[in-house]
Amino acid sequence: MADTHKQWLEKLEADSRAKQEQFMNDIAAKLRHPRMALKPQHPFRGAPDFWNAFEWSVEERIKQFTDNFLSVGGHVARLETMDEAKSFIVQKADEMSAKYVVRQNQPELDALDLEGALPASKVSVWNTDSEQYWRARAAEADFGIVLADHAVAYTGSVTVLSAENKGRSVSLLPTVLIIIIPIERLKTRLGEVLATFDEAGHDHLPAGIHFISGPSRSSDIENDLTIGVHGPGIVYALLVG
Amino acid sequence: MKVSLFITCLSDALFPRVGEAMVRLLAKYGVSLEFPTVQTCCGQPAFNSGYWKEARDSAKTILDAFEDSDFVISPSGSCTGMIHHYPKLFEDDPIMLQRANKLQSKSYEFTQFLVQVLGVTDVGAAFPHKVTYHPSCHGSRILGVKDEPLALIQQVKGLELVPLPFAEDCCGFGGTFAVKMADISGAMVSEKVDHVLETEAEVLVGLDMACLLNIAGNLRYRNEPVRVMHLAELLYEGVK
Amino acid sequence: MGTGAKTGATVKARADLALNDEFLRKAVRFTTERLRNGKKKATDEHGNWEEWRERGRQIRLHTIAHLDYYLNLFVNNARANGVHVHFANTAEEAVKLTLDIAEHAGAKSVVKSKSMVSEELHLNHALESIGVEAVETDLGEYIIQLAGEMPSHIVIPAIHKNRYQIADLLSKEAGYTLPPDTTALAGFVRKKMREKFLEAEIGMTGCNFAIAETGSMVLFENEGNARMVSTVPKTQITLMGMERIIPSWADLEVMATLLPRSATGQKLTMYMSGITGPRRAEDADGPDEMHIIIIDNGRSLQLGDPEFQELLNCIRCGACLNACPVYRHIGGHAYGSTYSGPIGAVLTPSLNKNIAEWDDIANASSLCGACYEACPVKIPLHDMLVYLRRRKVESGNGSMMESIGMQGFAAVMGSSARLGGVLRLGKLGQKLVVRSGVIKTKLGPLKGWNTYRVTPSLPKESFRDRWDTLDQELKHGLKQMDPTMQNRMEELVKKREQEEKQGKGGHGHG
Repeated sequence: MADTHKQWLEKLEADSRAKQEQFMNDIAAKLRHPRMALKPQHPFRGAPDFWNAFEWSVEERIKQFTDNFLSVGGHVARLETMDEAKSFIVQKADEMSAKYVVRQNQPELDALDLEGALPASKVSVWNTDSEQYWRARAAEADFGIVLADHAVAYTGSVTVLSAENKGRSVSLLPTVLIIIIPIERLKTRLGEVLATFDEAGHDHLPAGIHFISGPSRSSDIENDLTIGVHGPGIVYALLVG
Repeated sequence: MKVSLFITCLSDALFPRVGEAMVRLLAKYGVSLEFPTVQTCCGQPAFNSGYWKEARDSAKTILDAFEDSDFVISPSGSCTGMIHHYPKLFEDDPIMLQRANKLQSKSYEFTQFLVQVLGVTDVGAAFPHKVTYHPSCHGSRILGVKDEPLALIQQVKGLELVPLPFAEDCCGFGGTFAVKMADISGAMVSEKVDHVLETEAEVLVGLDMACLLNIAGNLRYRNEPVRVMHLAELLYEGVK
Repeated sequence: MGTGAKTGATVKARADLALNDEFLRKAVRFTTERLRNGKKKATDEHGNWEEWRERGRQIRLHTIAHLDYYLNLFVNNARANGVHVHFANTAEEAVKLTLDIAEHAGAKSVVKSKSMVSEELHLNHALESIGVEAVETDLGEYIIQLAGEMPSHIVIPAIHKNRYQIADLLSKEAGYTLPPDTTALAGFVRKKMREKFLEAEIGMTGCNFAIAETGSMVLFENEGNARMVSTVPKTQITLMGMERIIPSWADLEVMATLLPRSATGQKLTMYMSGITGPRRAEDADGPDEMHIIIIDNGRSLQLGDPEFQELLNCIRCGACLNACPVYRHIGGHAYGSTYSGPIGAVLTPSLNKNIAEWDDIANASSLCGACYEACPVKIPLHDMLVYLRRRKVESGNGSMMESIGMQGFAAVMGSSARLGGVLRLGKLGQKLVVRSGVIKTKLGPLKGWNTYRVTPSLPKESFRDRWDTLDQELKHGLKQMDPTMQNRMEELVKKREQEEKQGKGGHGHG
């Protein structure tokens, strides 16, 4: 079966490569130019210049991020240290009787020692056991805990990148999501974060780049806002540092 | 300096009082309008329906009429807007295209001319009534005439301007649309009139007789006494 | 109820159904108003909106003008990322590819996030025909799937349904009665969909943007279901219109600025995801296998057509629907196709290059231009509607009556003498129908018009009849023009003449 599946994919790829030429030639013919092999001049790349010069102070970034995140129904806490973050999480877990907690496998989160601090909860660390079906662990979790890779004040967004030790499911499947944002990762504009992906290039990007701007929501029934339709309905952003 | 009046077929046939008010008002500033009688219709009904050959026949009378004018003034944003489509209409005919470009650059809607060219916002009018204003789509969107009429209205003594809810929504006229899609158009004009009535204004003022014909038609159909006026009429009545 | 798919034969017939459906009109009005106000607030707050629109337009124009380069670059990069890329010239080819992948994945069910392309392909029926359950997971899409309808709005598919209708649909699915309460209804769907996400073999998504330089695809959403379908199932299939490309992540900032603000007035959707290939070998979630099907289905027909190429710039925000006074009154189903509103009225006949068959779809507009004003990438939809009408006439598919009428129009309006004659005839003729100064007859050409209005009668004198008297009166004693005014007018004429010499002009003023 494995072989036949592989053969089938190879056949699809051969078909696709053949068709690609026809497809692109057809486009070029309709645009009435020869097939373009060289990168064209793109004078309008990215945001307008006046925008790229725009930057807020750290305090303003914190204020704007907080306002934006609160306005869509998220929660924000401004904390000095990772210890305070730990106490915050422990207190919330206690308040909501979180039975299952899943967290990313990162040194900053290891240092919190949530496993020790939450004796009543089962704390799983993402992808530490290859026998587990980790998506199911995330799906059953009450709490998902992640460390933000970036954050954007102007849109009130947090960015999480996928990796071996950072599952996409951790920020998606639990009921409550807690995101720790080291303050130095909080930027003013979306473009500051997006630029890092252009710099990385296709062979250095993770499979999943996710911007999260608050709790899951829908307005599909009579334009009435509902929170928590598929993703986490309760989201805490902890600004630390 | 030759300043010409582009009367538009609708004002010519149905609302001569609008053209007259405009001419009399401009005369107060020493503007002597001339009226080339070879003009007929800008061609918009045919153009919008896809009959461009027929639209060209009609448009040619306008190009001929204003060939040697320095300024062309019209009481309609929509018909002036149509002149802005002439370069597209004649894109395959270099000579006509040149004439079309020339006409476009010298054509003005009435308030545009008054405010932008003459620099007048206060005509010295008094009109002690409650008034609401409908900005017609083509004037405001194609020509960008948004501030000029308001500047003029705000200077009229005694006039109380009540904002029209959903003012920027189309009244539903749309030329042949009102006939081809009569029920949709009817729903649109009915809603527009609902909004006019909500303002409790005594007078509805606008810049396009086609839209005003449409709105007034529904007001009369509902036996509503709101007076419907072109801004030129209102201003002239205010200075008389 | 006029909410079913394509009930009448023409736009006009379907619109009449909608116009008689008070609930539908109320619902559409309520939601489009909200979205419109949200957009206004968001764009005012953001500021410099015209500059952002222009930037968005330029990026889209540039990308489409070099589409062979950028699409090819995207394909090569996506393939290098481990994606299986496929090409479909037609809807049939796209469906065939999808079914082939589903069969090889041994799929029993497919969970789908919202995709207008999928609606275009009518994919759900095709999947069901080979025994694969297709589950729409976006709340609005799920509702219309249960109702067996088409989306009536690009962004809010179930805009035409109220909570009672939705409670009925979901209760039938649940097997017990659900209250008409938004939270309860959404809660039921959340629970039900959780099972579906975990059991489905395939997750299917659309694609808001595809980034050429890294081969990444980008999804904007609020519910999290698009993340679900691209994270949990083993196989991901993405359906992508061939024009979805942008060059870089830097360009995404502009699109991310324009799209959510124009669609819902949000600064950003709750989730924006960039997906670059299937899961890496060491990752514990994300699809093992990822397919992207690039679909033409009529899109390339716009390329090289100066009047319609800009149609491919559309970012599917739905702002033109929310701004449209016609959509406001008739809703989306009246348009009779997957895409509704002003963009639908242009896109549907353009994708099919069969304006003649689409009867009156291009006529369902008053050409007010609200769509153009709302469009974040400045597509001149109101002009395109006129071009469609012209093409229909030029292809010999215009209506016979109208054609005769327009020839008559040209004959009258081609000469002022004939116009004068007709006006004189009209004054005679109207004597038959004028009653106390107005015309109320519902016969002949005034039938539709006079159903909602009365028509004023022609005055005794037309303007041209009055002109000589008026002219003489005013010329007599005309005052001298203010010298500043005089100067300004002379300056304007001079400036115009200079511009004309430089080959400018034609752009007017204002």
